[in-house]
Amino acid sequence: MKDIFFDLSVRSVKLNFMRSLLASIGIVIGVVAISSMGMLGTNMQLIVKNQLTAGINTIVITSDVVRSEPGSFGTPTTGITKSQLNDIRDAAGINDVIPIDRTNTQFSIGSSDGRGSIMGLDLTDMKSIMNVSEGSTPRGESDAIVGATIASRFNLKIGTRIKIGEPNISVTRPVVRVVGILPTIGMSSSNGINTDNAIIVSDTWYSAQFGGDNVYDQVNVNLKDVSTLSAVETAIGNKVNRNKEVVRISDASSRVTSVSSTLSSLTTFILAIGSISLLVAATSIFNVMMMSVNERVQEIGILLSIGTEKGEVRRMFLYEAFILGIIGAIIGGIMSIVIGYSVVSAMIGNTAYFFLPESIIYVPAGMLIGVVVCVASGVYPAWKASNMDPIEALRAE
Amino acid sequence: MSEVPLIRLADVTKVYHLESGDFVALDHVSLDIMENEFVAIMGPSGSGKSTMMNQLGILDVPTSGNLFINGKNVAAMTNLERTHMRRDTIGYIFQNFYLIPLLSAYENVEYPLILKYKQRDTSGKAAAILKSVGFDEKLSAHRPTQLSGGQQQRVAIARALVNDPKILLCDEPTGNLDRKTGFQTMDILTGLHKEGKTVILVTHDPKIAEYAHRTIQLEDGKVVAS
Repeated sequence: MKDIFFDLSVRSVKLNFMRSLLASIGIVIGVVAISSMGMLGTNMQLIVKNQLTAGINTIVITSDVVRSEPGSFGTPTTGITKSQLNDIRDAAGINDVIPIDRTNTQFSIGSSDGRGSIMGLDLTDMKSIMNVSEGSTPRGESDAIVGATIASRFNLKIGTRIKIGEPNISVTRPVVRVVGILPTIGMSSSNGINTDNAIIVSDTWYSAQFGGDNVYDQVNVNLKDVSTLSAVETAIGNKVNRNKEVVRISDASSRVTSVSSTLSSLTTFILAIGSISLLVAATSIFNVMMMSVNERVQEIGILLSIGTEKGEVRRMFLYEAFILGIIGAIIGGIMSIVIGYSVVSAMIGNTAYFFLPESIIYVPAGMLIGVVVCVASGVYPAWKASNMDPIEALRAE
Repeated sequence: MSEVPLIRLADVTKVYHLESGDFVALDHVSLDIMENEFVAIMGPSGSGKSTMMNQLGILDVPTSGNLFINGKNVAAMTNLERTHMRRDTIGYIFQNFYLIPLLSAYENVEYPLILKYKQRDTSGKAAAILKSVGFDEKLSAHRPTQLSGGQQQRVAIARALVNDPKILLCDEPTGNLDRKTGFQTMDILTGLHKEGKTVILVTHDPKIAEYAHRTIQLEDGKVVAS
């Protein structure tokens, strides 16, 4: 059925085309603001989350259980034993398992002394997980690679020799030679090891100097597929922590969760700023609707006097607000895609996530909110029109 | 003719509360109008003609007393019932025509049908009534502003008739027309009366009032002759 009240509303909008268009522009701005701000926030979230997720493909296994190992002269040690390592390898399946020895130590380069961590890794593992920015990975027993921070602080070059251990006149300290320098890792370590302030040597050299041949300070499991994270963690836990908890299994997912929630609050905040423009738009729609009602008092009087129901008069004005909203929402929706894309590309520099559902949903959502706001702004004017006294209204000029 | 009057005013008083004090526009008026009467209501300005018109048109309710239209007590009806009675029982013809400016002549006439049946007119009734007042299809497509006063009044009459009301309420129907067009309009109303409508005419023009079979004279809110 073609509704005559809808027709009347369309004609009223057409009659006051310029005014209606200007009012709709308010809605256009509101829709664009909400949509592009929402998309900006979401794209930011998606990108940061993705960058962080790159680091959570590593499970870190450590142990605080104190035990006496036969090879360590009765000194109590903590760490992961060979048999535990084998269990971890079993449970980890196809994923890479990398045992790491580490300790803090003093060292000297020429006449300057420093402190840092020294790590022992299997040479093959080192080759597979360390990407040097300069030089190569160690081939020989006393070759070492160094982290970016240490390298720049001590001005280390390929070939520089480092004496490891406390300075002692009576003992000659062991020496390693720098063969590679690692790039800066920062927070987003992709293999779960922060190497910035570390000297990395082969596991055999490490054991010779620091002992602990059969025990490791840390075991990393690098996952091939990050979605198997919890499954692999459970498998390792079941295998190693059979009777009681002897190793601690951790990953970076809690960090991702906390950063994501921060970013999501940020998105809500910028959305709230966007909504202010919609509030302004609501005011202008309200204003235009009041003008429309006030200009058509006599017409409303005619409608009411010849038997139009109040509800029908209300409907007519709500339609008018709805039409203004639809016009604004359609223009706004199209502009949101264009402007949103430009904003995301300019401010984030990555539009890979722009057309994903969780980002593009802000366009229809913004349009819907625009229409709802518009109709809501028309409620009072419509109510006012329908409750006029027909006699008074007819008398109006 | 039935014994029950179509319209009965029983001791109707209408008081307007103004800043300058209460103004009694209708003062204990009692009056019967039977079906198929042709009545003229006359009186100087301020005599209560318009107030009487608003009462008979159910646009207002009495302050005291009872008004019965078609056997129903107007004051006891709900707002919606009064709206429906205005739509179905009364046809309004105004001095200023009061056509809906956004609608064409045809749509203005179709409008009360849409109000009543909640759908566009498919029966051809609107077109037929327009034809009976001399409007062809082309003229019917015009907006009110494109029509002369006489043409607008004919559209208004067609609109008043389209829901087949018992009562035609005409408020100075010739007031904005030249003499010739005015008399033509009165001829149409006379014809409608002959077809069985009850025609109530408010005018201050004695020449126009002559068309009526009964004249009710109002002065200071009271009926002085009927």
